[in-house]
Amino acid sequence: MNQHPGKLGIREYVSIAILMVGAKATEDTPTMLYNKVQNAAWMIPLLSAGIFFIPLYLLIKTLSLYQGKDLFSVINKILGKYLGFIICLVIFIISSFGISASTRTYIDIIRAFYFTATPNVIIYAILIIISAYGAKKGLQHIGSVSYLIVFYVLVSLYIVFYLSMQHGKIQSIFPIWGPGTLEILKQGPQQLTLFAEFFIFAMIIPYFTSNKVFSKGTWIAYVYVSIQISAATFLFICMFDTSLGGIGYPFHTVIRFISLGEFIPNVEIIFFIIWIISAFIRFTAFLYINALMFGHIFKIKDFEYLIPSLATIYLLIGIIPESPLDAGLDFKTPITNLAGPTFAVISILLWMVALIKGEFKHAKNKNSM
Amino acid sequence: MQKKISKLWKQGLNTEPEFNEQSNARVIDLKKQDISASYDQNLATFKSLFTVPDNSDVKVREFTITSLNRKGFIIYLSTMVGLQIIIESIVEPLIDDEHPSEKIPDIVSYPIASTNTNIGEITEFITAGNTALFVDGDKQCYLFETTQISGRSIEKSENEVIVKGAKEAFNERGIDNIALIRKKIKNENLLVETRTIAKRSRNNVFLVYQKDLVNEELLKTIKDKLDSFVVDSILDLSILEQYLEERPRSLFPTILYTERPDRAAAFIEEGHIILLMENSPACLILPATFWTMFHSPEDHYLRTPYGNFIRILRFLALFVAVFTSPIYIAITNFHVGMIPPDLLMAIAGTRERVPFPSIVEVLMMEIAFELIREAGLRVPSPIGPTIGIVGALILGQAAVQANIISPIVIIVIALSGLSSFIIADGSLNFAIRITRFLFIFSAGFIGIYGMMALLIAGLFYLLSLKSFGTPYFAPMTPHSFSSKDLIIRHVPMKERFRPGYLKPKDIVKQRKG
Amino acid sequence: MLKTKTVCRLLFYCVMICILTGCWDREEIEDKSYVIGLGLDRSSQKGKIKVTMLLANPEVGSIQGGGGSTEKPREIISFDANDFIAAKATANAVISRKVTYELLKIFVVSEDFARDKTFPSTFYDITKDKEIHQNSYIAVSKEKASQYFIHNRPKMETRPHKYYQFMINHGIENGLIPDSTLFRYLQTTERGTDLFLAMYTTAEKQKHREIKQEDEYMAGELNATGELDDTQFIGSAVFKNGVMIDKLNGQETRVINILDDTTNIKEILVNFPNPFSDNNKQFSARVSKTKNNKVRMNLKGPKPMILITVPLEYEILSNPSMVNFLKEKNRQILKHEIIKDVEGLFEKVLKKSQTQLKGVPYPLSFNSRRYFGTIQQYKKFNWAKSYIHADIQVKADIQIIDYGKIIKKPIKVGE
Repeated sequence: MNQHPGKLGIREYVSIAILMVGAKATEDTPTMLYNKVQNAAWMIPLLSAGIFFIPLYLLIKTLSLYQGKDLFSVINKILGKYLGFIICLVIFIISSFGISASTRTYIDIIRAFYFTATPNVIIYAILIIISAYGAKKGLQHIGSVSYLIVFYVLVSLYIVFYLSMQHGKIQSIFPIWGPGTLEILKQGPQQLTLFAEFFIFAMIIPYFTSNKVFSKGTWIAYVYVSIQISAATFLFICMFDTSLGGIGYPFHTVIRFISLGEFIPNVEIIFFIIWIISAFIRFTAFLYINALMFGHIFKIKDFEYLIPSLATIYLLIGIIPESPLDAGLDFKTPITNLAGPTFAVISILLWMVALIKGEFKHAKNKNSM
Repeated sequence: MQKKISKLWKQGLNTEPEFNEQSNARVIDLKKQDISASYDQNLATFKSLFTVPDNSDVKVREFTITSLNRKGFIIYLSTMVGLQIIIESIVEPLIDDEHPSEKIPDIVSYPIASTNTNIGEITEFITAGNTALFVDGDKQCYLFETTQISGRSIEKSENEVIVKGAKEAFNERGIDNIALIRKKIKNENLLVETRTIAKRSRNNVFLVYQKDLVNEELLKTIKDKLDSFVVDSILDLSILEQYLEERPRSLFPTILYTERPDRAAAFIEEGHIILLMENSPACLILPATFWTMFHSPEDHYLRTPYGNFIRILRFLALFVAVFTSPIYIAITNFHVGMIPPDLLMAIAGTRERVPFPSIVEVLMMEIAFELIREAGLRVPSPIGPTIGIVGALILGQAAVQANIISPIVIIVIALSGLSSFIIADGSLNFAIRITRFLFIFSAGFIGIYGMMALLIAGLFYLLSLKSFGTPYFAPMTPHSFSSKDLIIRHVPMKERFRPGYLKPKDIVKQRKG
Repeated sequence: MLKTKTVCRLLFYCVMICILTGCWDREEIEDKSYVIGLGLDRSSQKGKIKVTMLLANPEVGSIQGGGGSTEKPREIISFDANDFIAAKATANAVISRKVTYELLKIFVVSEDFARDKTFPSTFYDITKDKEIHQNSYIAVSKEKASQYFIHNRPKMETRPHKYYQFMINHGIENGLIPDSTLFRYLQTTERGTDLFLAMYTTAEKQKHREIKQEDEYMAGELNATGELDDTQFIGSAVFKNGVMIDKLNGQETRVINILDDTTNIKEILVNFPNPFSDNNKQFSARVSKTKNNKVRMNLKGPKPMILITVPLEYEILSNPSMVNFLKEKNRQILKHEIIKDVEGLFEKVLKKSQTQLKGVPYPLSFNSRRYFGTIQQYKKFNWAKSYIHADIQVKADIQIIDYGKIIKKPIKVGE
């Protein structure tokens, strides 16, 4: 019955997290994974989730020492002013490039499959304007909107899964170990970026009703999302088998292929609607968090006013690559290789420094008193 | 172009000129004084205040009070009072009673009486239909509540028709309206507070609420808001609605306006606050969320499965009303592959001879539909149905035969137009119809993508709306405790809680066991 | 209030701009010409192909009452082009509207061109054009595709999209033609382990037509007479690595479709020999497959062993010998006969695939995958090669769920 005006409940947080991270199953991630380890690709999300669990757990544990403090405050507190500043800046830059890269991916998808003649800039501008508008409304509203639509997003995703299952051949996942266990184990740690967003979510802790909401919500979303990405990859492998490597965006190829009976042969638009809605939400949240980071680093209190200008910058960065191919090479690859491991290292670093500084003991003493 | 824009901005920022009121300091000063003991002075004062004898319905009756043997006069507005009552219980006793007595209340037999000395206040009472009695040598004035205004009797609700459930509706008389609520909630905690909101025409607002349920903070906010108006007159509840709203320019309503007393009573029981006004055949329910607009009282009167059935229908109608025509445009203009081949061929075949692009076609028909609808409302009732038939059948049929409109468009428009009628709330209905146009434009611009962009922006906007601190989609999101009566309702036995977003003093309305 | 006015005015401008400019992807529906079938032939000039487009006229058959037009339901054009994507633009020299592949239902490739080595590289353009859906079909025509479309004049479904939709769907349900979507073509070609079957069709009558078993025909062989359209869809063309190598008749196609768990065949009607008497009157039955095959393999030895169990449900429809199935013995005889018939047929077809086609015409390789741990091992095993010497056994798991109405022998007059 307690209401916290302007605070984020667990439902809203989980919906944001599912939309933001779960959406990866619907872009080029499955293909990327397939190209790495072929038909064992579905194991990678689970494996990476298992590996990323350790830094995430340590991070949450460290953060729980500082109730209601966001990630950057904690970094500054533990690592000191200067080192903290540099690390915060690194995180901000990585996630900024992340947002540019992934918005660009979405634009490429939209252009490739649905609006072939419309200029990139127009599609991009609409996406960014809507995201900026939403982000300006604040985190609580982002949470509310995601909670309103997450149900429909998931239902439509399951319908796609179900329909594609009818065309899929489960034997496609054999030979079960793909290119060999060693290769899988090697790829696992490299794909940590899949879950990098969870690290960034630590920025919005002050907006939660309590730290517990954050840790609980994170684990729920984390488990769900890793299963969802894995399941999606699994189904795409079943459906496309060896062709998956050559298909840029398997989700969209699937929705173009499946049909609801012979009289409604092409249903891609229905799923496109849901997909694009979740994309809007995803970037809105992403944009908001980035603005929050920026405001935090440069001590700007009313960071909401930064959102339009930041959004414009992201748009300008996003349209630099000439073609989707360039975008993939220039942006995506470095970001995916860098983000996850960096965040993992930072988490572990934070925990270790906190441990050495005796923060945990300190907190314990405080509690016992 | 730039010059024009800057000019527009300058125009926009221009403030209104200063207007000065003609001084009536003398009257204001007079109103602040008390009445005097002198009969003649009082008579002169009130005659001048009410401009007697130019003001034709102000009646002043002078007489001698037999038992006191003093002069006295009564003043009243003949159009606002029950003349019979004045004659029988005020004038007759005063003139005829010969028993020597000292006090006026002992002589006059009228039950409701009070005394007052302030000229201004007495004036207010007289304008409200009271009869004022002045006695020579008495420093106070006797006021009798003789108000009797003619108006409609209680009739059937016309704008919110339901099949099962109470049929009566509010009318223009405040007393009747309060009585309608009182008879549904027989509890001494039901408070009817009166507040004057306009200075000049002295319009009253009745705040009706349950003292032991309503959240004090909410009550205070509303009272403060009501007291904050500096305005000469607010004649109607619907104008008050606009004054009260946080965002009067918003497309979507944040206050529920209903003419059904049963609905008002139900909301009072939940801990809402009801505003009533003299002369307005409706009430305002605050705070209101999207769901209160979306629901109909019948949802609860019908048995649970039937109630939910019409809920789902209404939900569907909401989507059909908003999205059919935009989707038609988006699909036929941008996403042709989406349509089943047979339908595609049919649409393409019928469109071949239509001279306009499909967006113009749809816009034309939408506007035509709105015109017919509005015309149907305004025409005198005997020819109303005829207009409907002419509009719908003849116009549509003729337009198709003249190759101006393709038949598919007629279907699309009719479907979306009719669906919009299912949304019973007048304001929400307008909101839906206007939103449809916005969606048509966005669909014409960049298809489904534009529509979805607008939808998301709209959702963000809607969620940021607040009605007296209550989020628009509460209690769905942000989540708060309630009996979960949103899209689907439970059986009444399971609806055990009042909505948590109101923070009522008692959240449980049905204890277990 | 003036502020509101300003905002309104700006909004109005925005709306006007939206309406007047938004035309990047906007295309009025009647402004397009919808290609239903696309024919591909070898061109007389090297490096080019001959493209035939079958365009549907939306006006025919869609307007109810009044205003019926005298236009033809379709338009066919053939010309030489480099590929069939750029051909869309070239076609506009003839066709008045913008040509689109949005409703493209079927690709018809002439047998001659399908056997050409360059065919896959030409055909792979289907992945490039976003208007082409991968659930459209590919068919191989005996004659030139340009001729095929011209000669194919359906009597009942004058609207071409309807004709192909019904024809293909029911053909696949009966199992007489394979479910040859572009999706399957691409997958099979990229997998490289097995063969792809495309439906076989022709609009040409064969000169000498003999009468065969109910499903043993190839397209064009069925001797149907009357007032009809000469087009026939039966049998299949076999593609190896994207190039056509051989043909299968209706019966063989049906067998493959039964063996292939990924195609959805409905119940099919078959005849099988009469075990009770020597006359030629055969039994007829409705066969349905409700469960998936069970495939067991032993790939360890030098000669791989494959055991396929096919579960089939039979409903006996006719009883030419008037056998009394109340007798257990008769039922056993019937069952044995069916098993013998089915197993023989299946093994014959698989044998043919090993010897003549040198590959399995359905994705059997999937079943072998789980016997390997890694892709390297699987590649080393080389399914395509191993299959040819594999020892394949088919076991029919027959269930007769209905023996039909029990009839007594008609009593002869005078007895």
